[in-house]
Amino acid sequence: MARQAPKQTAAEKALPPDVHAGREVRDHLGLLAEMTREFTASSDYKTVAHSALARISNYMGAEAASLFLVSDTGEALVCSACYGPVDITGLNISANTGVVGAAVAAREGALVRDVSENVDFGAAVDAKTGFKTRSLLVAPLVLGTDCLGAIEVINRIGGDGLFDSEDLLLLETLAGAAALAISNFRLTHKIVQQERNQHELELAAEIQRDLLPQPSSRDFPIHGINIPARSVSGDFFDIMPMPDGRIWFNVADVSGKGMNAALLMAKTSSLFRCLAKSAEDPGQLLNAINNELCETNFHGMFVTMVGGIFHPGTGLLQITNAGHEPPLHFDLRTERFIAIPADAPPLGIAQDIAGPDGFPVTELFLAGGMLYVFTDGLTEATTFGGGMLGIDGVRALIRDHAEESPDLRLKSIAGAVKLPGQSLRDDLTLLVVEDMGIAPIGAKPPIDAQLSVEDGQIMRVRIPARPDRLKLIRSATEQAAKYCEAPESWIFDLKMAVDEACQNIIRHAYGNKGDGDIMIDYSRERDALVVDIMDFADAVDPETVKSRNLSEVRPGGLGVHLIKSVCDDARFVPPPPGVGNLFKLTKSLPNKVS
Amino acid sequence: MSYEIRNVNGAAVVALNGDVDLQTSPLVRQKLLESLEGNTRVVVDLSAVNYIDSSGVASLVEAFQVSRKKGASFALASVSSAAMRVLSLARLDKVFTIHPSVEAATAAQG
Repeated sequence: MARQAPKQTAAEKALPPDVHAGREVRDHLGLLAEMTREFTASSDYKTVAHSALARISNYMGAEAASLFLVSDTGEALVCSACYGPVDITGLNISANTGVVGAAVAAREGALVRDVSENVDFGAAVDAKTGFKTRSLLVAPLVLGTDCLGAIEVINRIGGDGLFDSEDLLLLETLAGAAALAISNFRLTHKIVQQERNQHELELAAEIQRDLLPQPSSRDFPIHGINIPARSVSGDFFDIMPMPDGRIWFNVADVSGKGMNAALLMAKTSSLFRCLAKSAEDPGQLLNAINNELCETNFHGMFVTMVGGIFHPGTGLLQITNAGHEPPLHFDLRTERFIAIPADAPPLGIAQDIAGPDGFPVTELFLAGGMLYVFTDGLTEATTFGGGMLGIDGVRALIRDHAEESPDLRLKSIAGAVKLPGQSLRDDLTLLVVEDMGIAPIGAKPPIDAQLSVEDGQIMRVRIPARPDRLKLIRSATEQAAKYCEAPESWIFDLKMAVDEACQNIIRHAYGNKGDGDIMIDYSRERDALVVDIMDFADAVDPETVKSRNLSEVRPGGLGVHLIKSVCDDARFVPPPPGVGNLFKLTKSLPNKVS
Repeated sequence: MSYEIRNVNGAAVVALNGDVDLQTSPLVRQKLLESLEGNTRVVVDLSAVNYIDSSGVASLVEAFQVSRKKGASFALASVSSAAMRVLSLARLDKVFTIHPSVEAATAAQG
């Protein structure tokens, strides 16, 4: 297609030779000012563009004008507004073709003075619309190195109906102003859109915060904290007390960040709440959640989770770890940690991978200790010193803040990695489960532990480890049980269990030498009598102290079986400093008959 | 703990009294094995046993095993509730021959 591109620059040609020219310049500037004002004042792009085209047409005495913008892909030019007898809004023409396409590609204005003299003029649009194009002006919308599109003006009204090069110069000047106005409009639009997105994110964050449990009261055994790195979080935790007194809890981390992670978090959180009501243990529950998540395709995203159930009456914890950072069991007496590694895969990856009983469950007795569950946002957080906190750093923080109230302790630990006013690199979630009713001997109780009068230690007995003292031990045990108002048959069983445990110390730990002591602490812990039986001998391998098979009738080896038959729990636990072995018996007290 | 051995209808009846525990069970073991040496019928009267531990039970088991080797008869009689509790927890209540009274035991053995 032939076109007449002006050879002079706009600046060279914008110097009118006579007094009329001065008025023309003032008029041009007035039009520019008017158009700029309209573009910046309105957010309705189409109306403003249409109005600008009307002004340009009227000012230039043209029949019609159109605004073509480069499409997002850059492959087409789309008519986004027009003025004139025929509406071609939405008309899509291939970039680089036609007079408009060539002007955009070359970033130069084009004048086709008389289309009848131009054999290359494509009359396809005219054929479609019935409009008769006689003369044509096109000016590109150039802004810096970018070209946004072009303005096309068609047919001069009056005279010979044809445009000349001065008309092109004027259109190019107007197009420059229009390009700036369109660019400003787009920027403003982008900012508005960003603000809208931000607002939606804030709404999502608010809903997410509502999914987290309310802060626990000081005497509740489970507390949690969640600090999102961005407005929405991929981490979450939940605490859900059941009518029977047990408490479900979880800490989870969704792979990925942002809105899609937040949506998966919301789904997983709902599944946990819903399915926990009918689950027996966390192994079953996490297996059910896994199968549900696998039903929905979350594009390769998955969830790591520690789910558990706590029995506050006995201090029993049942935990399943599905691909999550290992939780830490902290024993207050010995200040030792035991990590509970993941023995199930993350949730949402593979369906039906667990057996009929679900994922493996780890059982442990808190026994006055605490369980910390956290996300890698804590272990991988940067400390004030600049390094990564790491698991050793987490352990040190737990030790350092052990005597604070749980709520304050969680804030102190999180505060060690989060500077005020600065955001974290990753979401951080931390949860603690603790035995509120137990005051460990030798360790200071938590400052807010509320022990009622009937709880706590009953007595301590220290006695030579000799067979002739066993009767005294049985008597002491009987008195401790009577203090708890236990019935006769219950007392007999406990006496037998303590007696058998002490026999083992006399025979195995001290080797019948009779040269050591046995120390026994009797404590009332909630609805159980707990007997800590300690010796000062070398450590015994608990594996060597096991029940034997009773189908085999032979003397000996019955003691451990008798103990386990009558106690709710009997096990070696890490002893306090200076003590050789600590064997802990727990026997639930029968419900009082009212 | 105390003990008394008497002869009832030709059987040696070992009556135990008090607590049979790690302190006293060696004596119980000794008396039971001695009784089995001179008798083909032994009855252990447990009516006055307030307490018996695993070592006491072990003594009874050992005497029972010796009696079987010798072809002697060994029975428990009038077992106190405390002793019965321990025997049943040890699942030995079905292993031993248990009679409600010494008389019933000696009559059954005769």
